[in-house]
Amino acid sequence: MKPKMRTIALSVIASTMALSLAACGSDNKGETAGESSNKNNSGSKSNVTLELAISKSSQDSPFIADWLLKEFETETGIKINLQLIPAEQSTTVLQTKLAVNEVPDLIQYNLASAVTDLNLERNFEILDNEPWVDRILNADVLSAYGNIYSFHVSQDTGMQGVVYNKDIFEELNLEIPTSYEEFLAVCEAIKASGVTPVFMPYKDAWAANIWPAAAFADYAAKNDPTLFDDINANKKNWTDIPELEGILDQQYQIFKLGYTNADVLSDSYDMAVGKFLNKEVAMMFMGDWLIQNIESQDPEMNLGLFAIPYGEDPTIGASPLGGQLFIPKNSKHIAEAKQYLAFIASPEIAQKIVDEERYVSNLSDVTTPEQPAYKQEIIDNYITPKKVTLTMDAHTVVDQNEWYRNLQDHFTGSITPKEVLENWDVKFKDLMKAKGVEGF
Amino acid sequence: MHKSKSMYPYYLVWPALIIYFIFFAFPALIGFYYSFTDWRLDRDTIQFVGWDNFKAIFSDKVLILALKNTLIFAVVTVIGKNIFGLLLAIGLNMKLKTRNVLRAVYFSPSILSILVISIIFTPILRTEGMINSLLGKLGLESLAQAWLTNPSIVVWTIAAVSIWQSVGFQMAIYLAGLQSISKEYYEAAKIDGASAWRSFTNITLPLLLPAININIMLTLIGGLKVFSEVYVLTGGGPGNASQVVGTIILRAFGEGNWGLGTAVNTLLFISVSVIAVPLIMFMRRKEVAE
Repeated sequence: MKPKMRTIALSVIASTMALSLAACGSDNKGETAGESSNKNNSGSKSNVTLELAISKSSQDSPFIADWLLKEFETETGIKINLQLIPAEQSTTVLQTKLAVNEVPDLIQYNLASAVTDLNLERNFEILDNEPWVDRILNADVLSAYGNIYSFHVSQDTGMQGVVYNKDIFEELNLEIPTSYEEFLAVCEAIKASGVTPVFMPYKDAWAANIWPAAAFADYAAKNDPTLFDDINANKKNWTDIPELEGILDQQYQIFKLGYTNADVLSDSYDMAVGKFLNKEVAMMFMGDWLIQNIESQDPEMNLGLFAIPYGEDPTIGASPLGGQLFIPKNSKHIAEAKQYLAFIASPEIAQKIVDEERYVSNLSDVTTPEQPAYKQEIIDNYITPKKVTLTMDAHTVVDQNEWYRNLQDHFTGSITPKEVLENWDVKFKDLMKAKGVEGF
Repeated sequence: MHKSKSMYPYYLVWPALIIYFIFFAFPALIGFYYSFTDWRLDRDTIQFVGWDNFKAIFSDKVLILALKNTLIFAVVTVIGKNIFGLLLAIGLNMKLKTRNVLRAVYFSPSILSILVISIIFTPILRTEGMINSLLGKLGLESLAQAWLTNPSIVVWTIAAVSIWQSVGFQMAIYLAGLQSISKEYYEAAKIDGASAWRSFTNITLPLLLPAININIMLTLIGGLKVFSEVYVLTGGGPGNASQVVGTIILRAFGEGNWGLGTAVNTLLFISVSVIAVPLIMFMRRKEVAE
């Protein structure tokens, strides 16, 4: 090698090394800061800094609001350092942190996903004996395996269905459709008025799951109540039920008939709020959390939610409660982390959060504020008459990303609904077998 | 080589060697072991499972597709980055007034973060994006494509973006190589009546071989290990259409299947070595001394 070339090669190698060292360096810094604050733990107020890991998509969570962190620090001296994890990596990053024992002191995550992704029983602290537990109204939304593993001041599980713009429906004299044919007729009328009937942001593969997850669950509840148990015990295959194929095809046909945005595989979920605010779209298959996001930007928006109209008189889908706080067993500051939960659970603070977020309170001495109109409607139309079914997600105990990818593949037109279910059946069994579930 | 006093003692190599061992060699060796186990997120114990992980890899059609995509990506980017890089270098080695500016312009994409690249290219490559509307205005609607969402072309699109990004880096290496070739050879060739093409094939190319070798190795290894371009532009989608080995490893880890993920990683390591090491030795022999 000639000297010049050698210099180039060397500098390439040197810069690579420098980069990797720099990466290690920044990690270490966080570690030492945590340790040194631990050693100074002698004054009347604690000097501990708690690490709280949270997905970037949850950055508006009330549990990490500035005022809350500040008040907690003033009262106890305990600082909270936020570790914002990129949304699509949050599972992997948390799994890795837990595996290598570099654990944060608090984690915000969804309980159901913590069971499937994070090995809840092995990694997290049981909270049954915390002071706030006696005041919890609905412990189920915080519990798994018979123990309370998580904390939240709300008990309101999100509802999933069709988010729709009521004003557009009113202008066009449209009724809420309760069958697939009626739904297509509604789409046709909206399309004729120049508005895109349905927004499908299926660049984010999970968004394609709202229709099937609610419809499958409703189908099972009405026709085959043990369907998910049978599938989870390997007594039935995903491919055994032709109706599921039909449900997948329905969603695809809505796209094929031209009732959606043109570029369903390029548009992403974060565009949804803007599309509704600009009245470019009338409907979307999503959870009621989207309505809250839209109305917080523009309170004048008049939105509602109805059940996925895959068949006659469907029920609405209820998703498991998400966004709970967890304490890892290997946290270095378990006592301080528990102190944070107790602080949030204190009647005054909890009331403030519940009021601000308009939650359905989960604490006996915290009152539920008046619900927004859309929520009250869901309560009147679906919850009170008991027309609610837990979505398919609540029954699936393995990672569902491959299912989402197959749904997305369906929309490229390269596979049929039958193949979607066949592919998932193979993957599902692999995952169940690897997890060590009996029967696989 | 004449004898001279060595400037530095050999023990100075130890710190680097230790770091290399701890952060690279040791994890790689441990990785070989883990790829034969059922190491998983939800298991407390790790068991030896023989070749099971590797059997699983070759019976998974998504993984076969990922291997195919990785090869396509590697071949296309090696060819594209080197041919365009060399052409740019030759062009910008000429006496142009703007050559310093142009060099900086062509080099600049390679210092951009891949995330920035994704933010720039995602809207450009949309079905209703800039490229397609430009084609439409030129009357070439028939060439318009769903660049990132058509399963049969998405890998090619990502390869093209990758070429655009790093061609300036390859250009810089070729430029350095070109500038180290003495002008005398060209003058002598000119006197002998050699055409420009003859001087290129008989002087430039042979003397540029070290640069070509480095570039081919860098682009080939980079191509086989591709991850970030695919991850930010499509995440392996739509569906699994643009999965490559790198994103499959992430997928396996995401599913909590660490043993399998490590096995795919081991496979990647071995394939890169099997392809790269003989190639390096072969190309080394072709190099000529000036």
